[in-house]
Amino acid sequence: MTAAAKVAVLVFPGTNSEVETRRICRDVGLDAHIVHWSRAATLPQYDAYVLPGGFAYEDRVRAGAIPAHDPMMDYVIEAVQRGKLALGVCNGAQIMLEAGLVPGTGAVRKPTAAFTRNGPVPHFVCKHVHIKLAVAPERCAITAALPEGALIPAWAAHGEGRLAATPEHLQEIADGGHVAFLYAHADGTVNADAVPNGSALGCAGLTNREGNALAIMPHPERDAWNYNHPDVRESDDMLAPSGGMLLFSAFAQALKRS
Amino acid sequence: MKRTVAIALKIPDNEAYTALTALRRLGVDVARLERAEIWQFEDSGSHEDFARRVERNETLFNPNKHVLAVLDAGVPRPGEAWIEQLDAKEVPVRIAGISCGRRRVGWRLFARGHAPADRGTVEAAVDALLCNPAIERAIIA
Repeated sequence: MTAAAKVAVLVFPGTNSEVETRRICRDVGLDAHIVHWSRAATLPQYDAYVLPGGFAYEDRVRAGAIPAHDPMMDYVIEAVQRGKLALGVCNGAQIMLEAGLVPGTGAVRKPTAAFTRNGPVPHFVCKHVHIKLAVAPERCAITAALPEGALIPAWAAHGEGRLAATPEHLQEIADGGHVAFLYAHADGTVNADAVPNGSALGCAGLTNREGNALAIMPHPERDAWNYNHPDVRESDDMLAPSGGMLLFSAFAQALKRS
Repeated sequence: MKRTVAIALKIPDNEAYTALTALRRLGVDVARLERAEIWQFEDSGSHEDFARRVERNETLFNPNKHVLAVLDAGVPRPGEAWIEQLDAKEVPVRIAGISCGRRRVGWRLFARGHAPADRGTVEAAVDALLCNPAIERAIIA
């Protein structure tokens, strides 16, 4: 019997989704631990990293800007460059963009894109959404175990989730196959009406060139058990896995393979 | 005519302090950092009571925590960078004689001895932290 992969769930001051993120990681068989910013030196012992949602450093300067320069990210950036897996959700995704880990088309900590304030109306969005795998599953190690075109339910809960970049960088993102997930309707159709925040390219998630870093804006960990799901019936088993579990199961399978 | 104000906190600014410590960690030599909201208005009212009219807008200005300075030159001060969203638009405001304004964030860097930081230091701070060129532009005088 092999030991479960060790996963660090990173916590910066202001992170607020670490508990449910650790729980879903443990539910899919990972040995997940919450690691606070003051314990950054312990990070090299982990096999993979999850950056959960929240408001790290209170979104000061820009969402994700200050934590991207936190010493904790020195370890994560180095680990990703050596091929370890990193998954960011919501604010974690914003941090990964500011750190230059995704789309990874520029230098480290020289962002070429951002998840910035929603459009066309810059309001906070709290909405149940679906995200659809938009690349071949094996394009990204974390999605390799998902079926082609996998549809994952999640909750969008952000004021700054719109992918934005210069036209040249957006073209590079599209051409390089960096858009890992698109917003979609529940039946899997993809169109502008499914996008809750005006995100360029309809993008809900980005991966890097190497496919070992994935940043997604909506929260699949908040639709991971039936009681999280908006269409749950009283007769359903409330603690049974719901659709958001799929992504984390694939993450766990990727770690088994690596 | 175009008129510009800087609305800064007179209470401790945690965001500026966080940015200051981050910049120092990134090797930018800055002794003090101030942050302000920079508003540029197209104003058809009188110059004399411009500041007072802006101060009456309680969503922009809270006298308990803000201090307002009129920037007659309408450009960043020495040691200052204005950060603007690439897709920034004029937004409606409720101020007598003014219908809309453009918002930016001003970061004012100081060297030791309270002198404004030199242009190279401001550019280094902008490049290292203060501006994400994918979505923002920096204006330096």
